[in-house]
Amino acid sequence: MPQRARSAILSCLLLAVVLLAWHVGTLPKGGAAQAVDPEYARLMGLDKPKSDGLPTPAQMGATIATQLSDPFYDAGSNDKGIGIQIAYSLSRVALGFVLAALVALPLGFAIGLSPLIHGALDPFIQVLKPISPLAWMPLALYTIKDSTTSSIFVIFVCSVWPMLINTAHGVANVRRDWLNVAKTLEAGTLRTAFQVILPAAAPVILTGMRISMGIAWLVIVAAEMLVGNLGIGYFVWNEWNNLSLSNVIFAILVIGVVGMILDFLFGIAQRAVAYVE
Amino acid sequence: MSLFDNPFNAESSLGCACGRHASAAEHEAAGRDAEALSGQALQTAVVKALFPRDAERRRFLRAVGSNTAMAAIASLFPLGALQAMAQEKGKVEKKDLKVGFIPITCATPLIMSAPLGFYEKQGLNVTLVKTAGWALIRDKVMNKEYDASHLLAPMPLAISLGVGSGALPMNVATIQNSNGQAITLALKHKDNRDPRKWKGMKFAVPFEFSMHNFLLRYYVAEHGIDPDRDIQIRVVPPPEMVANLRAGNIDGYLGPDPFNQRAVYDQVGFIHLLTKELWDGHPCCSLGVRAQWVKDNPNTFAALYRAVLNAAAMAADPGNRSTIANAIAPANYLNQPVPVLEQVLTGKFADGLGNVKNVPDRIGFDPVPWNALGVWILSQMKRWGYLKGEVRYKDIVEQVYLVTDAKKRMKEEGILAPADMPKKIVVMGKPFDAAKADAYVAGFAIKRA
Amino acid sequence: MSASTFLQVRGLAKRYAAAAAPVFEDVAFTIGRGEFVCVIGHSGCGKTTILNILAGLDAATAGEVVMDGREISGPSLDRGVVFQGHALMPWLTVRRNIAFAVKSRWPDWPRSRIDAHCQKYIDLVRLTGNEDRRPSALSGGMKQRVGIARAFAIQPKMLLLDEPFGALDALTRGAIQEELVAICAGTQQTVFMITHDVDEAILLADKILLMTNGPKARVAEIVVNTLPRARSRHDVHHHPHYYRIRNHLVDFLVHRSKLLQEGRAEVAANEESPRVVMPGLAEGDEAPAAPRPALLKQIK
Repeated sequence: MPQRARSAILSCLLLAVVLLAWHVGTLPKGGAAQAVDPEYARLMGLDKPKSDGLPTPAQMGATIATQLSDPFYDAGSNDKGIGIQIAYSLSRVALGFVLAALVALPLGFAIGLSPLIHGALDPFIQVLKPISPLAWMPLALYTIKDSTTSSIFVIFVCSVWPMLINTAHGVANVRRDWLNVAKTLEAGTLRTAFQVILPAAAPVILTGMRISMGIAWLVIVAAEMLVGNLGIGYFVWNEWNNLSLSNVIFAILVIGVVGMILDFLFGIAQRAVAYVE
Repeated sequence: MSLFDNPFNAESSLGCACGRHASAAEHEAAGRDAEALSGQALQTAVVKALFPRDAERRRFLRAVGSNTAMAAIASLFPLGALQAMAQEKGKVEKKDLKVGFIPITCATPLIMSAPLGFYEKQGLNVTLVKTAGWALIRDKVMNKEYDASHLLAPMPLAISLGVGSGALPMNVATIQNSNGQAITLALKHKDNRDPRKWKGMKFAVPFEFSMHNFLLRYYVAEHGIDPDRDIQIRVVPPPEMVANLRAGNIDGYLGPDPFNQRAVYDQVGFIHLLTKELWDGHPCCSLGVRAQWVKDNPNTFAALYRAVLNAAAMAADPGNRSTIANAIAPANYLNQPVPVLEQVLTGKFADGLGNVKNVPDRIGFDPVPWNALGVWILSQMKRWGYLKGEVRYKDIVEQVYLVTDAKKRMKEEGILAPADMPKKIVVMGKPFDAAKADAYVAGFAIKRA
Repeated sequence: MSASTFLQVRGLAKRYAAAAAPVFEDVAFTIGRGEFVCVIGHSGCGKTTILNILAGLDAATAGEVVMDGREISGPSLDRGVVFQGHALMPWLTVRRNIAFAVKSRWPDWPRSRIDAHCQKYIDLVRLTGNEDRRPSALSGGMKQRVGIARAFAIQPKMLLLDEPFGALDALTRGAIQEELVAICAGTQQTVFMITHDVDEAILLADKILLMTNGPKARVAEIVVNTLPRARSRHDVHHHPHYYRIRNHLVDFLVHRSKLLQEGRAEVAANEESPRVVMPGLAEGDEAPAAPRPALLKQIK
């Protein structure tokens, strides 16, 4: 049997074991039916099965089916389908990410090309880089005075560093030979930047972008849980309010899958710009 | 029907276009000039502007009571608004409003106005924005992201004073609700009901500047527990209280409903007491607006106010509570099971210890921002050291709680002064006199002042 | 300086720190038009630095380089460089690597003309059929051929080669060397080339510059290759001059380069220009029948 098939079978087996353990672990506990006042039982919601608590795999399946059957429903400003929530989150991530790229790529170029600029900016980068992006949130809210912009800003802040550092690193380490080729051919600054340095540093830059995107996707969930109002993070928070764990788990799965897809897309882009020396 | 009909009489109808007369003919027959207009006639204009439809007005007056209605209306309108309304054009300056809320039953009038169409009826297109916590709500109000917002009753005072945030003049349009809070304890404390034995326990309140914080402090202090030294009080956003209680991060909380009832429903806690038992009729949340916004949008403000007032009137009727519970339960609003909300709103609830209790006034909806309420809040801010030095209680409250301002102006116009508060403030058996707030503060054994 | 002197180097020196001894100093030589000049010397004598100065990629600490009547002050399309490590851009195909150079030389050319021009040089280095492959899919020899095609494609006035075949195996090296001989013969290209390989120098060069060891390296001698042109690596060693020249070069590399550096050999330090020698000629031999005119002048 080929290695792949065996791996697949093992994966399925693992999943089955996890599901089984889950199922056994969440079986309703019998014998809890004390003789209580039926009115009290009704008020406590004990007369019918409750949707909260840790769901069984079957309940989880039902939740997933319900959510996916209508992912784009719109039941008001605070209640929208998972598809719409994801779209909100993705648009924030995209905006913050693109802004970060617009800053990080040129700045990274400048840092990579000029030891002077590198020396001047390095202390700031070293101090700013390790700050948790969410720590910026109160300051952003206070100064930007808009919560959506603030969450975009937080995405910007978290995705700018890996891109900046990788761009600078990639640009600074472009092989001397290629630059010399460009010089001896009297290629202009822009032509050298776009046709030699950029493609040469592209794999490193894209690695930075891939890391940035991963972080941005992690951070948007937390940011939306903080400032709320639509997005997958808000969805988690809203379902947490309702202690609806099956929806929270569903959201976790969706976050994982979307993150995986984003990473996959960047993987494709990375392969597209990769080269073998 | 005469010119001097009392506009607050639920049984009379108002006919004249200018609002001063029952009909144009009467106006002429009366032969009086503008100088002689009585204050009551102006009042009529206001009431008519607020409730152009007689049936609506009558229902409101019946539900709220005419004194309350008078006070409520008087509390609202700065001169500009009053004039704008007297002209009866009432064209709203801003149709699309963003209003923030925390998903708790305190915000019932604000929330239910959306699904039940109260905003729409006033020509407003209100987007209710569910918000994650009070600090965020405060920031979004100060940012002007929200036109108006659900705020804790002490917050507009704190924001106006710049305590805990930058200073920005705020107005309280209405109190959203009275009572409706509870102390919930984790089930493991079901035999630990005596606050004297609570040393070392951890409690949560929704925000520093909240009635919850002040009432919890008051309650434990009355039992000889210093809230700053003997117990820990943490700020936890209401929606996260149950999860924290379940996780054992806190031993209990004085929080807003439905999260008290939700803890019971999820079998993680029990209701130790309702805040009604501490102070029957205490305010909790309010509808807050920036003072500048009221000046800029008097007609919009009036329309918003009408909508919420109508909602409060409907909510005040116990017969409507079930309907309301269903209206505000969906994920778009509170995102809670209907049975939980019903127990909160109807007052027939399971306490988590096996008892069914029946407290019809577990939550009330009295919209008037009485001055004395504000003074009591300031007295507690002073008591616990949030305010330092001399506090000019009356002046501060008059600027924030619109009731006094309007009352004074009405007096100048010779209009009937609104009636006094329906209930005296009595907290755990101790009466409060708003005129002697400093003495009140000095009278406590445990304080930071 | 004669009319056919194409490149003149005078008093060239390079030091990397003001206090340090110069890597080389007083380097002087000339290259005639159409001449193929090789430089031989041990590592560290500054050969590559000299080439980089000629290419305009590095600046000399002292001295001047005049090419075609103008002082060199920076890189120029007049000088095509073939780098030691081929320096192909790995993200571009063979065709696009060459096209990058062609586009630099003739920015206004339409794509079709550029492609046709590229094709000509791809064919010249016998890489036809590999146009759309990337460098990573080529062997070392093929890569170096692309580098040569790129340098030739811009039709420079002078070609600078920095140990172009150093990394190749002997068989491949031999094949390309012969191609280079053929191409240069066909184009009358002026070439300046660095090599470590004595046989390569004898096979390719008209003139071989011998450098002493660094620091303070100098061009100690200019060896005129008296072997007739149209050499082939199969029979070049049958020529009577071959071993004389070869022995001279090896002797220089093994012994004299070091002695000269230490000032213990016969070449005087104050000598203006390096002396020109023709070790290929035995006593009484005539000077070669048709050496290049520039060479002749220098010898006389």
